[in-house]
Amino acid sequence: MKNITALSIKYGFLIVMIASFVGFGLAEPAFWSWPNLFSILLGVTIYAILALGVTITLATDGLDLSVGSTAAMSVMMASYSMVVLELSGIAAVVICLTIGALIGLFNGLLIVKIKVPDLLATLGTMFLIQGLQLIPSEGRSIGTGMMLPDGEEAMGQFSEGFLFLGQGRVFDLIPTPVIFMLLLAFVIYIILDRMRWGRVFYAIGGNAEASRLVGAAVDRYRIMAYVLSGLIASFGGVLLAARVGRGDVSSGSGLLLDAVGAALIGYAVLGARRPNVFGTIVGAIFVGVLLNGLTMLSLPYFWQDFIKGVVLVSALAFTFSLAKQR
Amino acid sequence: MTDRQPSVQVRNIGKSFGATRALDDVSFDFFPGEIFGLVGANGAGKSTLIKIICGYYPDYEGEVLIDGKAVHCSSPHDALNFGIATVHQIINQGVIPDMTVAENLALADLLSKNGSLFCNREKIAETARIISEPMDLQHLDMNQMVADLSQSDRQMIAIARALASKPRLLILDEPTSSISEREADVLFDKLAKLRADGVSILYVSHRLHEIERIADRVGVIRDGTYGCVLEKPFNVKQIVTAMVGELDHVDDRLPPIPAANEVPKIELRNLVVQAGDAPLNLKIYTGEIVGMTGLIGAGKTELANVLFGVARPVAGDILIDGVAVDIASVNQAIDTGIYMVPEDRMNNAIIPDFNIRENITMPFLDRFSGFLGLMRGRQESREAKRMIGEIGVKCSGELSRIDELSGGNQQKVVVSRWLMTTFNLLILDEPYQGVDIRSRHDINVYIRSHCADGALLVMAADLDEILEVADRVVVMNSGMIVGEQVIGEIERSTLLHWTAQSSDELRKTR
Repeated sequence: MKNITALSIKYGFLIVMIASFVGFGLAEPAFWSWPNLFSILLGVTIYAILALGVTITLATDGLDLSVGSTAAMSVMMASYSMVVLELSGIAAVVICLTIGALIGLFNGLLIVKIKVPDLLATLGTMFLIQGLQLIPSEGRSIGTGMMLPDGEEAMGQFSEGFLFLGQGRVFDLIPTPVIFMLLLAFVIYIILDRMRWGRVFYAIGGNAEASRLVGAAVDRYRIMAYVLSGLIASFGGVLLAARVGRGDVSSGSGLLLDAVGAALIGYAVLGARRPNVFGTIVGAIFVGVLLNGLTMLSLPYFWQDFIKGVVLVSALAFTFSLAKQR
Repeated sequence: MTDRQPSVQVRNIGKSFGATRALDDVSFDFFPGEIFGLVGANGAGKSTLIKIICGYYPDYEGEVLIDGKAVHCSSPHDALNFGIATVHQIINQGVIPDMTVAENLALADLLSKNGSLFCNREKIAETARIISEPMDLQHLDMNQMVADLSQSDRQMIAIARALASKPRLLILDEPTSSISEREADVLFDKLAKLRADGVSILYVSHRLHEIERIADRVGVIRDGTYGCVLEKPFNVKQIVTAMVGELDHVDDRLPPIPAANEVPKIELRNLVVQAGDAPLNLKIYTGEIVGMTGLIGAGKTELANVLFGVARPVAGDILIDGVAVDIASVNQAIDTGIYMVPEDRMNNAIIPDFNIRENITMPFLDRFSGFLGLMRGRQESREAKRMIGEIGVKCSGELSRIDELSGGNQQKVVVSRWLMTTFNLLILDEPYQGVDIRSRHDINVYIRSHCADGALLVMAADLDEILEVADRVVVMNSGMIVGEQVIGEIERSTLLHWTAQSSDELRKTR
């Protein structure tokens, strides 16, 4: 009995995931086709990337709620740089990442120096950024040919290279964003699980005062967590802009909840009970598999958020109830 | 004694947690009008037994009898209705800091189903007055926030409230662990009065001298089983023997005598810790263990914090090997070779989600990481295993979770994390709180064997703990160093006098 509990804590989530994967395939063979599998991955890429940043902040016992609007900001800034300012794709990426890191720094300073609680600080920043991103384009979406305030048309274009980031395929099959997601996940995994930094992030999350008293630079690490989170979120925004090919004002909506959801579902994977990179990615993919499969079985789109909620709440209840009995 | 009926009895109590047998066939009787001391090493099962009696663990083997009748308490509320009131170790779980004294005292009324819907200030005040009477709390302002009170006053409030239900059995779990000796004396007077009133008191403590002083009988639990019951008269040595068997004798060690021209390892020169305090002067030589005692609030922890870079001193110098050093942060202290085991283990030392290995290597992660900060797991494990073996942490391996260990073993982990390397000064602030006597002994042996190149400063309010480890005893009182004695020339009465002097007396004599 005890072994069953231990096993289900450890592998329960993966078993459910594999079962649904097999089940959908049996019910609808097209589910298993390579293009479909990659479209699932592509569908989860953006919020999975954002969730990686959220995972870092969760590890320090914080939570970055501004990742969604940071990504949206990045979408608008990338478009604005190329379309209105007619800058190169590389310049656009650099600008976006810089802004992302600055937003993270702002969050970090707000939390560490002014001592605003994490949730409130990043909630405030979320609002701030959501509003700020609308100002340069006066609230309109940005695309080639849009009317500028001085009456001229914006003649800049998304560069080929920039678009490749979001729309390219490697071997004519694997979408480039998926590769970026996996690479980034690997890097963050190494940082959190294999490097000294990660150990300190988790130590701070476990007991900040004890960490301080063994010499950890707690404030610096916490700021760094938010800077990384902002940086990663803005990179997610870059990929999103490249995929859509225009600066859509509503592009950031829904990203935050999906990202936080994936990171929290990750607690259940392999019985980790703590934020972890593998769990975050698996959690994001699981949601993708579920939504894709159910859609193929003609579940109406308006059920999607409900399904995500069910998965999240069940995963959390499962993690915390079963693991407590250990 | 035999003609009296026990008020509460526990019979053949057993309890398992998974594969661990925490308690096995334990029986005790508690009589009215007696203080029953319950002792046992850490992890022996004291807390488990208490939690069974007070209804916290509803499923157990054996039975609890009240006035000879078997009862089953399935919640602490049940137990209270049966006349068993408990004051738990952590005071602040027993009082609500954001409420006034009166509200805290009348809490049961405020929460009761029969209470009125609206708060009636006069009624609360009246209830509080009645409840506070047996504990003589008249000196407290009833409208004061509990958050502004001392630990001992909070303790008294918790006890007063427990007594309000007129319990047959009052359980006190480590009631002196966070109050000073003088405050403890007040508590003991109160307990003696309650005993005279016929209350049965179950008194759990690590502090055997207290038990010797106040208990009528002592029950010993050893490794989850019934050890024995000692009737008065008994002494600490007998209790210790019953608890852990014969300890290695603490030998009459000779203090190291520094050569006349030896430069002290650590010197405090006119160090002013807090504004308004007298300057402190203290020298600790290489290989020496200085024990610092004094009541809570005497300034020990404040000094430790200054030495470890947690706080800045107001004035004065800290010298290592005769050279003044500036310690502006914890990091700087660690770089200078000054380490500290903080007073509050749970909140300030342990990282609960981490395993033993990760807890041990926390301060010196850079030693276990290479290129790009990648951790070298095998080396880390090897080192952690070595430390666990040397200090004798009882665990299934270096990857066990730290929160599964007993207090004593947790403390061993916390101490050993600093001893991986040489140090100039290691400060241990109240290192024996919640640590059983066997672990205390292990820790003492271990730190002594590792202090050849450094200086040790051990701080504890308990004089016996200090005498067990120190080469020299320094007494602090009201932020001053008021005296010192070398081991071998100890006069307890003088040390206690220094410790107990009030600040007024101190001002007169100085």
